[in-house]
Amino acid sequence: MRLPTKIGRGLVVGAGIGGIRAALDLAETGVRVTLIDRSPYIGGILTQLDHQFPSDRCGMCRMLPLMDRDAGSQQCLRRGFYHDNIEILPGTELAELSGDAGNFTASLRGRPALVDPSRCIGCGACAEVCPISVPDPFNAGLSQRKAIYSPVPHAACAPYVIDTDACNRCGACLDACPTGAIRLMSKRREAFRILVVDDEQIVRDSLKEWLHEEEGFGVETAASGPDALKKMEAAESPYRLMLLDIKMPEMDGVEALRRAKEIDPEICVVMMTAYAAVDTAVEAMKIGALDYLIKPFETDVLIPRIVSIYGDLDADPADELLVGAVVLCGGTRLFSPAQGRNLWGHGVIPNVVTAIEFERLLSGTGPLSGGPLVRADGKPVERIAWMQCVGSRNLQIEADFCSSICCMFALKQAMLAKEKSGGQIDASIFYMDLRTYGKPYQQYRDKAEEMGVKFRRARVHSIFREEKSGDLIVRNSDYESVGHDDHFDMAVLSAGHRPMTGMAEMAEMLDIPLNPWGYMATKPLSLTRTEREGIFIGGSFGGIMDINETLIRAGAAANRASRVIHSAGGGLGEAVSETEEYRDVASETPRIMAALCNCFESNPLENNPDAAARLKADPEVAEVRSFDALCTEAGWNGLCKRIRESAPNRVLVGACLPFIHARRLKSLARETGLDPVYMEAVDIRGAGLPRHLLSMAIERLKRVEPEREPALPNHQRALVIGGGIAGMTAALAIADHGFPVDLVESSDKLGGNLNWLERTIEGETFAPLLEEMSEKVTTHPKIEVRTSATVIGASGEAGDFVSVIETAEAGPETPKHETLEHGAVILAVGGREAETTAYGHGTSDAVVTQKELETRLKKGEIDIGKLGSVVMIQCVGSREAPRNYCSRVCCAASLKHALRIREENPETAVYVLYRDMMAYGFIESYYTRARRAGVIFISYEVTGKPEVEFTEAGLIVKVHEPVIGRPLEIETDLLVLATGITPDLPPELAAGYGAKIDINGFFEEADAKWRPVDALKEGVFACGLTQAPRSVPETIATAEAAAHRVLRILCRPHLTPARITAKVRHAYCARCGQCIDACPYGARTLNPETDQIIIHPAMCQGCGACAAICPNSAAVLEGFTLAGMLAAIDAATEAEDGAGRTAQKEEAAQ
Amino acid sequence: MKTAQKNPPAHSVHSVHKTPTNPPDILAPVREMIQACIQCGTCTGSCPNAFAMDISPRGMWRMVIMGEDESITEELFNTKTFSLCSSCYTCTLRCPRGLPLTDAIQALKRIQTRHYPEKAKKNIHFYASFLESVRRHGRVRETEFMTLFFLSMKNPFLPFSFAPLAIRLMAKGKVKPGFPSAGNGALDPIFQKARELEASS
Repeated sequence: MRLPTKIGRGLVVGAGIGGIRAALDLAETGVRVTLIDRSPYIGGILTQLDHQFPSDRCGMCRMLPLMDRDAGSQQCLRRGFYHDNIEILPGTELAELSGDAGNFTASLRGRPALVDPSRCIGCGACAEVCPISVPDPFNAGLSQRKAIYSPVPHAACAPYVIDTDACNRCGACLDACPTGAIRLMSKRREAFRILVVDDEQIVRDSLKEWLHEEEGFGVETAASGPDALKKMEAAESPYRLMLLDIKMPEMDGVEALRRAKEIDPEICVVMMTAYAAVDTAVEAMKIGALDYLIKPFETDVLIPRIVSIYGDLDADPADELLVGAVVLCGGTRLFSPAQGRNLWGHGVIPNVVTAIEFERLLSGTGPLSGGPLVRADGKPVERIAWMQCVGSRNLQIEADFCSSICCMFALKQAMLAKEKSGGQIDASIFYMDLRTYGKPYQQYRDKAEEMGVKFRRARVHSIFREEKSGDLIVRNSDYESVGHDDHFDMAVLSAGHRPMTGMAEMAEMLDIPLNPWGYMATKPLSLTRTEREGIFIGGSFGGIMDINETLIRAGAAANRASRVIHSAGGGLGEAVSETEEYRDVASETPRIMAALCNCFESNPLENNPDAAARLKADPEVAEVRSFDALCTEAGWNGLCKRIRESAPNRVLVGACLPFIHARRLKSLARETGLDPVYMEAVDIRGAGLPRHLLSMAIERLKRVEPEREPALPNHQRALVIGGGIAGMTAALAIADHGFPVDLVESSDKLGGNLNWLERTIEGETFAPLLEEMSEKVTTHPKIEVRTSATVIGASGEAGDFVSVIETAEAGPETPKHETLEHGAVILAVGGREAETTAYGHGTSDAVVTQKELETRLKKGEIDIGKLGSVVMIQCVGSREAPRNYCSRVCCAASLKHALRIREENPETAVYVLYRDMMAYGFIESYYTRARRAGVIFISYEVTGKPEVEFTEAGLIVKVHEPVIGRPLEIETDLLVLATGITPDLPPELAAGYGAKIDINGFFEEADAKWRPVDALKEGVFACGLTQAPRSVPETIATAEAAAHRVLRILCRPHLTPARITAKVRHAYCARCGQCIDACPYGARTLNPETDQIIIHPAMCQGCGACAAICPNSAAVLEGFTLAGMLAAIDAATEAEDGAGRTAQKEEAAQ
Repeated sequence: MKTAQKNPPAHSVHSVHKTPTNPPDILAPVREMIQACIQCGTCTGSCPNAFAMDISPRGMWRMVIMGEDESITEELFNTKTFSLCSSCYTCTLRCPRGLPLTDAIQALKRIQTRHYPEKAKKNIHFYASFLESVRRHGRVRETEFMTLFFLSMKNPFLPFSFAPLAIRLMAKGKVKPGFPSAGNGALDPIFQKARELEASS
């Protein structure tokens, strides 16, 4: 039975980019989200990566909300973020989950925060005094950090944390902390009372010394069982842990345990025993002992065990949270090459680094501070080798999978190394197959080749070091020779990935099975749904993937979670942020209150009388006042009270961490009735008052224009164009939230490519999926399906699109025209197998494409039993101009067909001629299977393509076999061409909605990494083959992700512009159009009717690019007027001695 | 056209026929062992003897996989690659596919002995001489072993090619000069049994 309460809350586990995406997707549609991560920071592995392929820059901020962006932070996302609907809990784990989809109870266990995050100002005084140095995991162990540290150096508001394993509890940081944020951990340990019971004096004494004097626990001892029981009864506060000897005179340990449990059932007892008495200890565990320790003790075993028991017992009690759905967005663990055989000498041979270590070496926040690479012996690094497939594609270490991202990672690093050294560094990549299977990745590889990165097809098994020169020797074999040695200065191991530590335990706890590769299993044909309804996978818990793929899956998982939450009654459409009623102060002269935090001890005004006097001298500054510790609750309340009393109409808050205070300004506004537009937060941390920053903020406050663009009406209805699996999935994903959807399909039936596709490589058939989806779509009350219908005209903006649909009702002669108004559109027009005339296709029945093969096999037109030999050629017309992209699905399709043929008739010889087998991820194991099944794979270069000859005897395929170095002639009965995928997106359709098309005819995303299904123009989305070649499950994920992007818009009755948007002063505008090109969000258009530049206020993100480029100052950014900015710049450039510009001019005149 | 064996291997055209008309596929058991090979070249890169081989181990495995055809089989047994294997097992240790490469090479050696005895003549006599010395004395007497080998090869010039090595070894006292002797026959029953087992297998 479902509880009647609405649980409009989702839980997102893991706060890497996948988790952030899923949380934001849910939050933007009005769902409250709790985002947890077991690490003390958010951002996951990307905090360590400054450059991310394929753009080689960051751009993470592009994930931030575009609709109602004022609900969250609008700053660099790598530095941290917040959103009104998201509660972020770092250092928290999901301990338990009970209940069913729509109504889960999650127990969240946080580690006790030893540094109070609300008081830590990140000054770093604690780390300065900390005497302990340990390797810094953030820099992959290449640099040192203190036991108290900031986990991410570039984070804006990550409080310091304590590494409890390294900390020796000396207490130096306690005294150094100016805000008293560090809790008395030693007190806490002292309060954890341990009773040591042993008849031997020496055992009692040594345990007391180790546990009390060295570890700081409260330790008492007892010499016998009765003595211990007496102590227990007399104790004021109960003992938490008892270390109990088994063999004692008077009363043995087991009896003592029984009685102790009677006195205090809560007490945790660990038995101590000699090796011979382990049986008794096990008996004791049956009656309630937690564990046993074997005497004699090894301190390095004993102490960590006790500390770990302490950690478990002393953890803060788990919080219970009611959630409708759970999205698992954990990441992966990097393979450690140093484990096992370590043939590469990682950690042993200097200058052998892993990819993540190399990334940190390049980073500005890394151990070299971004300086040039040097070898361990101080010589400059001039030759670098990348070794692919370290820890991947290796059956000896049970890695029958491809780690999917390392090839692109290596390409990126090789190019970065080239760039950084001005092309001086010699970069070689040793690889087997270079898996550039993403849409723009082939071009990325081409770019690397142009830059001179060397590609060498050989797997490197081990690295040696030449003693004399200190060079690394890489022995490898190319096709031409039997092997030779190459010298390098540095070797980068492209270490693969493994399931995240603790993931298997979590899967067991959640009752989710693992797949054969050790990742969480998903349902057939879905990449996000697990066996347990209501729990979805949104990241690398289900396999290894790059940013683009992670964000798509996170979006899809968020959509699935949202549907569960919605169907459980916690629907969408509630206002994301309430519109507040504020005092109208627009017409008043500015009365600014400058509220400065005294940061516990120093009064900023007394310490800086000059600056204070200058502030006070400003006629528009009504009040300058210092407040006690604004970061504390009391300090903040004091500020609210004072504002209510003196009612200023502008407020300047000077404190540390403006990032946090910017968020708190909203609550200040709610409590004081002053619009947050009239508030500014400035960072005054450090010595003296930063006069310039204060003056700039004051100048801005004086010129605030509070006018807001009116909210726009929004058609809460979506149009999905294309009725293939992508379109059907997207339509359902929207309609299940209660919003009406129009689905338009140009052919006479739904299903698209699913009508001819038979099954996946895993063996899942598509027919049931097609039937189920067609049924659902056609019977859904909120979906209106139009077949034989096309969009013949389209225009409009987010929230207000108009499309004209032509439906051939009785036939093409009698078309019906309809006009639809909708708030958003999804282009799901799909794609098709590319046509070709290569290799004699079209001239012979024996030459077919993959689609033709699949169709014929499905219809039973091909008798596999009669085939003597089959040749498959990959990359036909692909991965070279004019279709220079990888179609991603063809290698898997060939493996699928090859395996099927070999299974049905082992006598049929199958040859696959390939360039790089794109068997990414788990497809690799099918590649292994095909090799095992006797399929012969022959690689060819684009410069030496196979040739086909039609003879009387039959078809002969000629190809150069590189390994044995000779031409081959293969007589074949069937030649199968993998021609790849071309999109079906008509340019005029894309243009009608303002979407761009890339050079290959696919939909162009706003950002290949960060906004994978969005057009640059808000309100227009794409999924499936329209966007890029993908498999069916991957297509379904893009469709759900796109649907959720649409829901962000549909869930609002009105589109409200954000606080800071651009405006046009039409009188000054020369209609030059520069601002239209400059706008990175496509918010500006020229209205031909009025001949005016118009801005879509909901699409404008307030970046100011238009204001900067406009030659006439006709483009202005609200809150950043020209006068205000100039005054702020004046204030900033004033000389330190108080002499202003005028003074300098006078000097110049003299 | 079958194969153009007269051309040097690098330029010969090998045609793969859809209906193998070959004699029994003698490489099948070896192919079975190494079918999952991905031609990554780890074996070649790790082989300490690769420098002396005429084709690389990677090429050799490729030929095994491709060698359903007799010509390629014959070509394979013309190479000295597998006979140069010193069974160090490095390739087996490092093969990312976990293939039993050293075992497969030993299988190749056995197949050569059985099906191409003329090509394996030197090896056969070498091993036979080695074991003969072991049979006689329970250990190898190097000079006896080599004398037996030279006699069985029936090549009067063969000893001269080993002379420089022999002189160096003798100068350092590594081998002692001596003549073959009959031994006491203590190991004969073991060898007899082994022959019986081989015959019955």
